[in-house]
Parts: sequence; C-alpha cells; structure tokens
Amino acid sequence: MTLTAITEADTPFLPRGVRTKFDSVRDIWVLLAPERAVKLDPIGAAILAEVDGTRTLNEIAGGLAAKYNAPVDQIKKDAGAFLMSLIERRMVELR
Amino acid sequence: MAWTAPKIEEVTCGMEINMYFD
Repeated sequence: MTLTAITEADTPFLPRGVRTKFDSVRDIWVLLAPERAVKLDPIGAAILAEVDGTRTLNEIAGGLAAKYNAPVDQIKKDAGAFLMSLIERRMVELR
Repeated sequence: MAWTAPKIEEVTCGMEINMYFD
C-alpha cells in the first residue's frame, strides 16, 4: 500500500482498537493501539480531540484556528503532518 | 495556550506500554 498525503477534504478517524487515554500519573494524553502507545503533547491531544470520523481536516483546522487564534493554513499544515505520522503507524485512517 | 507544531513520542519500552493496558 502506498501512503499518499492527507488532503483537506479527507476525514481522519481512529480505527477499531485505537483510543486516547489520559495518563493521570504523568499528566499527559497517550494514544493507544493494540500493544503500542505514543505520548501526545497538548497540541496533539487537542487535534485528536477534534477527530471524530465525521469532520474533514479542513473543518478540524478551522475549529482549532478559532480556538488557538492561529492561522488556519499553519494549523492545516501542522495537523496534516501530525496525522500523517499517525497514519504511518496505523493509528489513524482516512475516509 | 499558543499553537505549536505537535510532537509525538513513541513508547518503546515494553513494561511502559503494559502500564497502559487481564
């Protein structure tokens, strides 16, 4: 399978068996897949909080741009790269 | 909080992974 870049019209979602969890000991969010885990920083956790399987990257970036008062193009670029790194780990899929 | 490019850190230690999961 060849990975292609995420576009703003793509809708990211967490596949079955992948979920976020708050690690109250370390005070961080982690993303869990079967027998694998990655630690998220607050921005990564904020992006995944917007990933609900119904909203496109464009819609997600728009919501975050309003929340963080930041340029939507910058957020689209950063969130897209973040999601691609999780797609490569099979922790996010697109529809 | 200001927007910064998000970073992720892979958990590679098996014992640490097990902490997050009978």
